[in-house]
Amino acid sequence: MAKEPKKKGDSEQEEGGEFDDFMADISQEIAKRVESLDTKPKAPPVQRKKTPAVPDAGLIVEWPNIADRMIEEMR
Amino acid sequence: MSVVNYGTREITCKIVYYGPGRSGKTTNLQHVYSQLPEERKGKMVSLATETDRTLFFDFLPLDLGTISGFATRFQLYTVPGQVYYAATRKLVLQGVDGVVFVADSQSRQLAENIESLQDLHANLADEGLDPRTLPLVMQYNKRDLPPVEISSIEELDEMLNFRDVPYFSATAINGGGVFETLRSIASLVLSRLSAPAVKES
Repeated sequence: MAKEPKKKGDSEQEEGGEFDDFMADISQEIAKRVESLDTKPKAPPVQRKKTPAVPDAGLIVEWPNIADRMIEEMR
Repeated sequence: MSVVNYGTREITCKIVYYGPGRSGKTTNLQHVYSQLPEERKGKMVSLATETDRTLFFDFLPLDLGTISGFATRFQLYTVPGQVYYAATRKLVLQGVDGVVFVADSQSRQLAENIESLQDLHANLADEGLDPRTLPLVMQYNKRDLPPVEISSIEELDEMLNFRDVPYFSATAINGGGVFETLRSIASLVLSRLSAPAVKES
């Protein structure tokens, strides 16, 4: 069933009142949507590829340590 | 397509007001604009001819501020109703999230309403959008005209509302039904919001 339109003077709403009502409804709707999307199962974390170990001892085999080693070398 | 962007914390939706010439599409946007609080009033872009016909399109960015931590924007567009602006209508429909079909209630405009609705369906299909599933709301405007000049809501609904979507009676010239229509289409669009696809590694 179609909703009957409000006529001018039917309500004492000031300018902006209609917008405020709209905002209130939309805010609720968005809050619901964001919440439901947020609870969806998240993608599994991407596994970092480990640097393959090089057989020669003495070579850098762990990349996370490379910066520390370089700094150490420069000192 | 409307997307909840968790990275930039943004929600953006595009809504297009479609319908035959002089059905009241621009009037809808003008009323929405008139109700915006000063701090939210951006620029309503309206390109009209000297006789107030929309030449290109109207654009009203509706910045709703931060809702649930997301900067929320609705972009409202109208299309030019005249038949010969077909290319513009297609352009405006690109990336649309929801459509308000503004029908002119005058009995003598029924053929124009039907033609415009068919044009909408054809243009949506051309854009790769499914006219059967895209959020759509019907607005039967100009209900303030004398009863002898207008079709009944039931007649209009039977002739135009094939999908049985929500419909609203309106007198956009004095704001009647404008926000009810906007609320309905916004709600339909938001219900289809999706998070951006996660790229598989």
